[in-house]
Amino acid sequence: MLLRKLLRTAWSYKAQFISMIIMMTLGIGIFLGFNMEWKTIEYDVGKFFEETKYADYRMYSESGFTKDDLEKIASIDGVDAATRYLSVNLEIKGDSKKALTLDVSENYSVSIFTLISGDGYDENGDGIWLSDKFARLNNIEIGDTLTLEFQGLDIESRVVGLIKAGEHMICLADSNQVMPDFNTFGYAYISPAKLGAIIREKALNTLTDELQKAGVPADMAKEQAEAMLTDEMLTEAIDKSFPQINLISGLGKSELEEAVKEKLGRTLMVVSKDDHAVYREAMGEAKEGKTMGSILPVLFLAIAILTMVTTMHRIATQEKTQIGVLKALGFKNRTILLHYSFYGLFIGIVGAALGAVLGYFVCKLIMSENGMMGTYFDMPDWSAATPAFCYPIIAGTVLLLALISFLSVRAQLRGTAADALRPYTPKKMKKSVLEKLPFFSKMRFATKWNMRDLMRHKSRFAMTLVGIIGCMILLVGGLGMRDTMAGFLDLLDNGVSHYATKVNIVENTEREKVDHLIADLDADWESYSGISIDGYTATLDIVHNENGRLSVIDEDNKEIDLQNDGVYLCQRLSDRAKIGEYIEFSPYGGEETYRVKVVGYNRSIMTESVTMTDKYADELGIKYSVSAVYTNKDSSDIPSSDLISGKQDKKQLMDSFGSFVQIMDSMVLILVVAAVILGIVVLYNLGVMSYVERSRELATLKVLGFRSKKIGQLLISQNVWLTVIGVILGMPAGVGTLYWLITALAGEYEMKLMLGPLTYSVSILLTFGVSLLVGWMVARKNRKIDMVEALKNAE
Amino acid sequence: MSIVQFDNVSRIYKSGDHELRALDHVSFTLDEGKFVVILGPSGAGKSTLLNLLGGLDSPSEGTITVAGADISKLSDNELADYRASTVGFVFQFYNLIPTLTVYENVKLVSEISKNALDAKDMIDKVGLLDHLNNFPSELSGGEQQRISIARALAKNPKILLCDEPTGALDSETGVMVLGLLLDMAKNYGKTIVIVTHNQNIAKMADVVIRVKNGKIREVTEQENPLSADEVEW
Repeated sequence: MLLRKLLRTAWSYKAQFISMIIMMTLGIGIFLGFNMEWKTIEYDVGKFFEETKYADYRMYSESGFTKDDLEKIASIDGVDAATRYLSVNLEIKGDSKKALTLDVSENYSVSIFTLISGDGYDENGDGIWLSDKFARLNNIEIGDTLTLEFQGLDIESRVVGLIKAGEHMICLADSNQVMPDFNTFGYAYISPAKLGAIIREKALNTLTDELQKAGVPADMAKEQAEAMLTDEMLTEAIDKSFPQINLISGLGKSELEEAVKEKLGRTLMVVSKDDHAVYREAMGEAKEGKTMGSILPVLFLAIAILTMVTTMHRIATQEKTQIGVLKALGFKNRTILLHYSFYGLFIGIVGAALGAVLGYFVCKLIMSENGMMGTYFDMPDWSAATPAFCYPIIAGTVLLLALISFLSVRAQLRGTAADALRPYTPKKMKKSVLEKLPFFSKMRFATKWNMRDLMRHKSRFAMTLVGIIGCMILLVGGLGMRDTMAGFLDLLDNGVSHYATKVNIVENTEREKVDHLIADLDADWESYSGISIDGYTATLDIVHNENGRLSVIDEDNKEIDLQNDGVYLCQRLSDRAKIGEYIEFSPYGGEETYRVKVVGYNRSIMTESVTMTDKYADELGIKYSVSAVYTNKDSSDIPSSDLISGKQDKKQLMDSFGSFVQIMDSMVLILVVAAVILGIVVLYNLGVMSYVERSRELATLKVLGFRSKKIGQLLISQNVWLTVIGVILGMPAGVGTLYWLITALAGEYEMKLMLGPLTYSVSILLTFGVSLLVGWMVARKNRKIDMVEALKNAE
Repeated sequence: MSIVQFDNVSRIYKSGDHELRALDHVSFTLDEGKFVVILGPSGAGKSTLLNLLGGLDSPSEGTITVAGADISKLSDNELADYRASTVGFVFQFYNLIPTLTVYENVKLVSEISKNALDAKDMIDKVGLLDHLNNFPSELSGGEQQRISIARALAKNPKILLCDEPTGALDSETGVMVLGLLLDMAKNYGKTIVIVTHNQNIAKMADVVIRVKNGKIREVTEQENPLSADEVEW
């Protein structure tokens, strides 16, 4: 029977029950969604990395690694597997806009791929294993032939298999690219045998060229070159082609560095997976998910719980006489408490169940091949994993709701059955400090009435404010994030990049050849290389910016006229030294240490860098090679050559942000929808509560002769006031939250918070819109108020 | 001169197939300036009658004319204007706005009534000038009812409608409030209609209408009504 009462009571408080269930669903859904997202990233990515033997460390040597080097490194205690490795960017012949990274894992023990279709890996195979996503988007099938341009040499290969590889799970051409463009940039693997053949052909071509230059006729030159090419020469060329050793090891970085130094007798640049773009970005995504999973859900769950506290207290006071009747009938306190605790439990269970469904969809919206992460990660399996701690938290939340009901009703059960039967008496009115001020008595009746109502119902007042502030935070945060991203992209496009094409230069190319290219292209250039600042890895960025193709900008996004007597630290490194102080760094692969003066800070768009001019680098005697040149020529007008490892036009780079912006838009849409739902649910619930509590007063006004419209205005005006206060408080809270989010989520980009006037106006208008809509919905009820019924009972 | 005329008025409440006739073809006339008591047991239909007269409800059948105007077919807004200008209410449980002070409760009616009387003056008349800035919860039941009378009269209505005005008060306070109500109504020349089941109050009335089962059983005009002090309570 009591169950029937529970269901009927739930129905009579349907607005409250539904809003509490919605809040609980949103809270649990968002909590579970974001936490499932990061857990799934960790699980799926971890599984994929393990399957494809993703390297724990990568070692780089500009002069390449010999087989002997590999053996020595592989023999280090704690190194489980090691291979010489090549990963080089190539263009596809006939289409200068398409490129891919070509990889060779010499002994195929580290950094391998997983086969999706076609033939499996063959270390002597002549074919090419191509990224399945790139193949699909470019209509390339198994059996098709691809021609790649490798440092001036054409490599023709038949596609024998379609694959996915952990090394390229986030497939980016270089550090300037933020989002993958699976259509224009892919990856492929070839066998070491195939690489050997290519190196042999390249060496023969070089020898033939040299012989021809020396006057040997063309037909004889080739023959002579064949005879001249010794195994030693070939081995040396192959060694040079492996600038990288990838290894799997549980050793710490410094431990490994020490061991390598001992074995090889020289320092190597060792990059742990934490500093490798793919792993770092993937873990960064998981970290972002954790951050999102700890902030947004807290906001929603806290509001859900606070709504529950306020609403259950109201329901319990309204049910006071019914509680009294049950008590008078002889029901024990325990039975009554249990009965009313079921209200909270019921809301909790239904909300948690719906929240679990919502959470799954939120997770899948982000973490699925066709979801947001599908535009970033290229991996074979997309599952859905839940962190273990979510279960006790959800169960705890459900129990907490039951506890809130329990405590609300217990307060009404104190005393005798007769006490409980007496209607709830509101607190006695007392004059607040505000009312003692002289201007208060001069206020209009409506103003006084509303102000006193708010003073009398402080928890409702506070909860409404929390709802409006929450709504503002989500709107300013969501729309502001979009503004900031748009500003960031504009800065990248127009603020710092004043070139049409970036040409990547093959490592260790003779400076003379590069200078020719720079002159031909009327280009500026940049050199980036790894340095260690007290063991911390950063990038040394040497800039030659004669034509103003690249801009180095300050914190206010203003261009810096670089000085030639010191270095600029990017914002992320700014706590390492004050301006005027000195820092020391040593380039990887060398023994030298440089002490330089910090002359300024700059906003680095991508890399965590120390920036200096080439003039200052020359003065210090730093050895460097040009990494990239920047020109205004179109990429198709720049012929391929053996010193160019790849070309990237700016338009293509900016286009690659398209999917990123799309993801951002979806996120913003979710936040805006969440803000509107949050606003409507919280305000409507409290509005109805307030309406019910004041129904007697409203009926009195109506009896006295107040028109429904005037009473409606009275109700709406309270909403407007609260919205004004909420907006004033919510605006800085939103900006603060956004600042925190940008720092936590996109700390690697040194973004500047940029909020346009449209964001402020839309946020304010939408919040007011929600508040007025809800106010209107509640005010409409007042037309139907039954004056006779409302005035019947004593207060 | 008649101020109220009920002509064949019925009020029927429907609930599914069930039909309840709270008032059944009721007709009567009230003269201006009279003190009328509507007497009857619980469920007789007396409150329904008062609600119809007060414009809180509309009849299912028949017409109600008050001060020459037919109020039986008025819209919600027109009824609100009617309540604001023509009738004043005094309820059993006072129905003061708890968040407004004594003064503000009475002053409130000036928001809707063009002919509102001075609030302070009215509070003075009911003897509560010392409590101007108190909230209703700080007053006794009798004091609250006196404020309720002040508020009802401050609108300067033609008719004062009272639903069991002494029902929540002890007899001593009830007599005092009743005396005040009559004095005030007479001083301001108002028609006063009280709904009650208290036979004693009927002894004070100019006209007594007895209601039972939704019908008028008897309308009695009393030549020499008693004063509140003369009635044995």
